[in-house]
Amino acid sequence: MIKARKIDVSFLNKESDFPMKPSGYMCVNSERKVWLIIRKRKRESKKNFWVVETCVLCTSVDQPCELFFNHEQVRTMSRVKRRTTHPPYWHVLKNNQRQDEKISSDNLRFVREVIQDKYKNKSPIKGSDLDIEKKEWDPKTKRSGVIARNIGVQHMWEKDGKKVVCTVLHVLDNHVIRYVPPEEYAKSIIGAKVFRNRKPLGCLVVGAEAANPDRFTRQYCSLFNEVGLLPKKRLARFIVTPNAVLPPCTPLTAGHFVVGQAVDVYGKTIDYGFQGVVKRWGFKGGPASHGATKFHRRGGTIGTGRDKARVWPGQKMPGHMGSERRFCRGLKIVRINMKYNVIYVKGTVPGPTNSIVQIFDTVLPRRKFTEAPPHPTYFPPEDGTLPQEDIWDSSLHVFGSPSISV
Amino acid sequence: MLRRAVLQTFRQGLAQSFFKRNAVSLSETTVTHQPIETSNEADEKSVSKQKPGDESGNTVVVAPPEFRFMYPEFLPDPAMERRNRLKEKLERIDMLQRRSVVEIPEFYTGSVMAVTVADANSPNKFARFVGICIQRGGSGLRAWFILRNVVDKQGVEILYEMYCPLIQKIEVLRLERRLDESLLYLRDALPEYSTFPLDMEPERRLNNSVVPINPLKVKLRPRPWLERWERQNLQGVEDLNLPQRFYDKAEKVAKPWEKYDLMLQYRKTIPAEEQEKIFADVHSQLQQQEFKRKMRRRRGTDNEQ
Repeated sequence: MIKARKIDVSFLNKESDFPMKPSGYMCVNSERKVWLIIRKRKRESKKNFWVVETCVLCTSVDQPCELFFNHEQVRTMSRVKRRTTHPPYWHVLKNNQRQDEKISSDNLRFVREVIQDKYKNKSPIKGSDLDIEKKEWDPKTKRSGVIARNIGVQHMWEKDGKKVVCTVLHVLDNHVIRYVPPEEYAKSIIGAKVFRNRKPLGCLVVGAEAANPDRFTRQYCSLFNEVGLLPKKRLARFIVTPNAVLPPCTPLTAGHFVVGQAVDVYGKTIDYGFQGVVKRWGFKGGPASHGATKFHRRGGTIGTGRDKARVWPGQKMPGHMGSERRFCRGLKIVRINMKYNVIYVKGTVPGPTNSIVQIFDTVLPRRKFTEAPPHPTYFPPEDGTLPQEDIWDSSLHVFGSPSISV
Repeated sequence: MLRRAVLQTFRQGLAQSFFKRNAVSLSETTVTHQPIETSNEADEKSVSKQKPGDESGNTVVVAPPEFRFMYPEFLPDPAMERRNRLKEKLERIDMLQRRSVVEIPEFYTGSVMAVTVADANSPNKFARFVGICIQRGGSGLRAWFILRNVVDKQGVEILYEMYCPLIQKIEVLRLERRLDESLLYLRDALPEYSTFPLDMEPERRLNNSVVPINPLKVKLRPRPWLERWERQNLQGVEDLNLPQRFYDKAEKVAKPWEKYDLMLQYRKTIPAEEQEKIFADVHSQLQQQEFKRKMRRRRGTDNEQ
């Protein structure tokens, strides 16, 4: 075992700055994403001190010291259920079962007319205490996010000719459904967990993709009765500070974001189904030839036989792969098309093409806003004209401009 | 969604004007079920209502059917999981924007081309390469082609991305087709078949309406080869003169039923209705760009005079 490296932790001001969970964090010196293991160690003198590891590049920069690599396998809690096929029990039943109701075409037409009359153009509810006032933006504000669809990947080029792979995200017809104030949200099941030890924040319920009310149950449609909007296929909650509140029925568009800012994208990864150990965990398997009998893509040994004399929980084995919640942090927006409500983001995003993702302002401290963004959201001019249809980042080469000459 | 009537007429049009150039062929295509009038403003909405027997007589713009071969990169990747109409539309807009700046001419595998690219490491800051196009692929902004040449007895192949902004100029020095869609066998052929002078002049064609097919049969070097050419039904290669066991093995491995597999072909291609829509939209824009270029050239010659 290689010896440990001790780092002076006085640069961390409070204990709350120090993350408790091991692994999957960023290097403390640079912001490179590495596997870090942060553990508490007790010495004989019973003085607690923290051992922090940095990425390999940073360790050589500081004073020469000894290095510690932890070869311990981090075993995730395999008993915690990561995936379910059903929604949580407090959710309202959503989809209607198709009934073979024999309605005449006249009646069908009448039903459609009724729906159209009921859900005509709606403007934000005025007269409530949630009117849009010019609330000040400060660096600690959390704005709402947006629901979008990942429609594919497009290649673009920077001004020096370097190719950049950009994901195209189509912002659907988002509307704010409801605002849950901080005190009320802290009492809910999820809110209590999220804000257990900190000051509670409010929650905005946003819906996207309006659909025919026929396909949903009455209870689900009742969620939208207050707002008077067509029921949405997809709902999402965004944690907001009280000064970034939006009244119900406010539309959210691609203009909510600014070209050049960093965003986090949450999505569910591609569902690979039941996969073997080679694809799922990257095992090497066995030799393809040289007499290997029935051992080409298998796992091999699963335990020692000595310590604990059983298979440890978290042992890597074949199983379901994919369809997991993941966040892609700090992706830069390089282009916004206001006419089609489309955002081009540098990099790739979790999930397959045509899947729904959520986009919100980044949580990474060095890439947050320094100037005020469209706060609380972007409001298009009243006469319907767009100031600029297609906004490009300064680093990108615009397609209509002359070829690059180096 | 295979509308037989449309497919049939589409194919008839194809057969008739297979290698013909644009403007002439429009009036010659026998697309009998709708009036064809080229309008200056291509109305996308009117194109989408292509019903047999259009009574209202809306101006329906139909691009010539050979656009499918002239501009194959405008057609998206047929894999259904990754298709999205909005994204394809936005990509086409970007492609046409790029084409308004640089002329990307019509070319096929077998054409000899010259590409000028901005290069920081060359003395003039521009690098020009001449070669024969051995393969082309990709869809949308990812479209690419490979040029091959033999320079100082060394075979060189360069893959160019058609919409890369570093490309300054693409010239077609000799526009022709070969008997195969992919000329990768030139790597195993005698070097004279891949050698082209780097200062080659663009050749003028006598007959502008038809793209000629070069029926050249290439001689391959003796084995070993990079691929098993006897298994690939190559038309543009001379008799391989291999022992019979190679041909026997090729027969065993062959899949002759694939040519009868309609669904396989359907899944590999974009349906005819969609192709018509795409090219109708693209056709008008490309015509406008061509017109502007011609005016610029004429003005250039007038200024010289």
